Amino acid sequence: MTEIIQQIINALLMGCTYTLIAIGFNLFFGALNVVHFSHGDVCILGAFVTLILYSLAKFLGLLVILPKFIYVPLMIIMAMIITGFLGVFFERIVIKPFRYAPLLMVLVATVALGIVVRETVRLSFPHGSNPQIFPRILPQHSFHIGGVLLRLDNLIIFGITLFLIAMMFLFIKRTKMGAAIRAISQDGEAAMMMGINMDRTVAATFLLGSALGAVAGILIGAYNNIIRFDMGLMGGVKGFSAAVVGGLGNVYGAIIGGLILGFVETFAAAFIPGGTPYTDVFAFLVVIFFLIFRPSGILGEKVYEKV
Amino acid sequence: MRVVLLIAVEIAFFMLFVAFMLANQMGMIVAFLLFFILLGIFLKKWEKVNRGLLGLFKERRVLSTPLFIFLLLTLPFFFKTSPYLIHICVMAGLYAILALGLNFQLGSTNVVNFATAASYGIGAYTSALLAVHFHISFWFGILISGFTASLFGLLLGIPCMKTKDYYLSLVTIAFGLIVYILLINFSWTGGPNGIPNIPPPLFASHSFRDNLNLFGVHLPFQSNYFYLVFILVGGALFVAHRLHHSRVGLTWNAIREDEIAARCQGIDVTRYKILAFCIDAFFGGVAGTVYAHYIGFISPENFAFIVSVVVVTMVILGGMDNVFGVIIGAILLTIIPEKFRAFEDFRLLIYGAIVVAMLMVRPQGLFPQKLRVYTKS
Repeated sequence: MTEIIQQIINALLMGCTYTLIAIGFNLFFGALNVVHFSHGDVCILGAFVTLILYSLAKFLGLLVILPKFIYVPLMIIMAMIITGFLGVFFERIVIKPFRYAPLLMVLVATVALGIVVRETVRLSFPHGSNPQIFPRILPQHSFHIGGVLLRLDNLIIFGITLFLIAMMFLFIKRTKMGAAIRAISQDGEAAMMMGINMDRTVAATFLLGSALGAVAGILIGAYNNIIRFDMGLMGGVKGFSAAVVGGLGNVYGAIIGGLILGFVETFAAAFIPGGTPYTDVFAFLVVIFFLIFRPSGILGEKVYEKV
Repeated sequence: MRVVLLIAVEIAFFMLFVAFMLANQMGMIVAFLLFFILLGIFLKKWEKVNRGLLGLFKERRVLSTPLFIFLLLTLPFFFKTSPYLIHICVMAGLYAILALGLNFQLGSTNVVNFATAASYGIGAYTSALLAVHFHISFWFGILISGFTASLFGLLLGIPCMKTKDYYLSLVTIAFGLIVYILLINFSWTGGPNGIPNIPPPLFASHSFRDNLNLFGVHLPFQSNYFYLVFILVGGALFVAHRLHHSRVGLTWNAIREDEIAARCQGIDVTRYKILAFCIDAFFGGVAGTVYAHYIGFISPENFAFIVSVVVVTMVILGGMDNVFGVIIGAILLTIIPEKFRAFEDFRLLIYGAIVVAMLMVRPQGLFPQKLRVYTKS
């Protein structure tokens, strides 16, 4: 029983990161009907930005002066902002030129952008091909409740994710910019006729999505204590899978999709004998089966085709 | 007079290509590339010259095509002191086969497929395992692995029929990753270490790993594979050309233009899409087999996701549904990164940047598809 609870906790954690990545995919897809395939790399870029900030702070001696509970949130927020603006930048140079081009163009362009981001990260770090040690920014305490091992950092990861998702929903539901994002995802042209600044709204969407993705990257780094330049590829595919399973373009779908993927992976690793190396295989098989029976995801709109 | 001009132009182009391949200083390579770009722009601007040349080539097809083939066949003689250049040509040929295969889907039918590496890998592993464990000859192996890859293509095609666009691309990406992960984890495929010591093909007791003696000239062993790949590309080109001009090609185009309209015309969309998957996989399997026996060692790394991306970009940058353009795309995107080997570390970075830049400058590809011409013949 405790084994199951333990695994549920792991699954939730994994689901959290996938959800954060998938939200980005869904926001972008909602706004522009594009899949930003390098989003996974942008997320891991967030972790690398944090690593740079950490080294910088260490170099300046700030880590000694400031207590941990101040500099860690500060670092995360700065990484979110930097990554967010990088995301906006990528949108401007790589995605915007293809706004009215066939879907395939933007797909390939972003895949190529992913290569560029990954390689830039690899080349700009010393021994970039090797995993980089990620600082232990979260407290490492753990405690037992009824035989279940709870790690404090896991709880914090969980809490951060919930908080961010709640904040994002508030932003989308309550603010003017959020309304604009919802408007362009319903109908871009109509929204523009209503006087919504398309470019600015799209930029806001990418800022939001990339900033949330950066947190996902940081959480992956904090959980594994290492980051590698090519983690973004798998992370991106998983986040994309989560978004698709939940229903592309639907932000709630990201949560469901992320959790489903997290549960499948964790339970495949834990309860299928010898299944650990094959967790990704199970995850992708589930994704393929989902797509066979629900081609537009769980919460996705049914698409009616017209000639 | 015109015949002389034709021969001169063709030989001049060929010599330029040979000189570019032989160039080994970075300045020279860059100069050549700039020259090619300028030449392209020139031909684009002076339409009269362009059309005149093309017309000439078409008019004297009986002469220009055999001459072209002959010139290509002499390539190993020019590169006999640097086997590496022949290696590049072999790889370009293999990628051309992969790209031609993918073109049936991506170009003709507009079905995205990011699983080329999977069929490539399945083909390579099938024939490598057969050759290593059961000593099955390359010539059987190439057929068996082609059909095995086709079978997997069929398997992939079934879930793909339900999905479109991005969803479809996700299914194919997932399939490619599944194959990759399985290859790493299965012990009977050698796991991450792959399969070493794959025997080379034998042709009438001539091993492909021995030097080739042609007309008294010793050519490095890569030339064997050069000629093999040359024949295979020729075959693939023939199949692609015939399919493009057949009812099947027309049907694929109809599906690309509008799937529902095609269905209304009574086209069995599912069947034709799956056919495209199978043919693509067959080409992939064949290319994989040649690769496995050529290099003699394969590991999952050779069939990673990036290979699929490379082949997709070859088709898109060359020109979708244009058989000629696809081959040019494959050759360019193999040779240019190899020529920048000096910047080995930056290769992928440059590659990604080239792809993004080319998509922006020429989204329709280098050689956009031509309108189908219907003539009485």
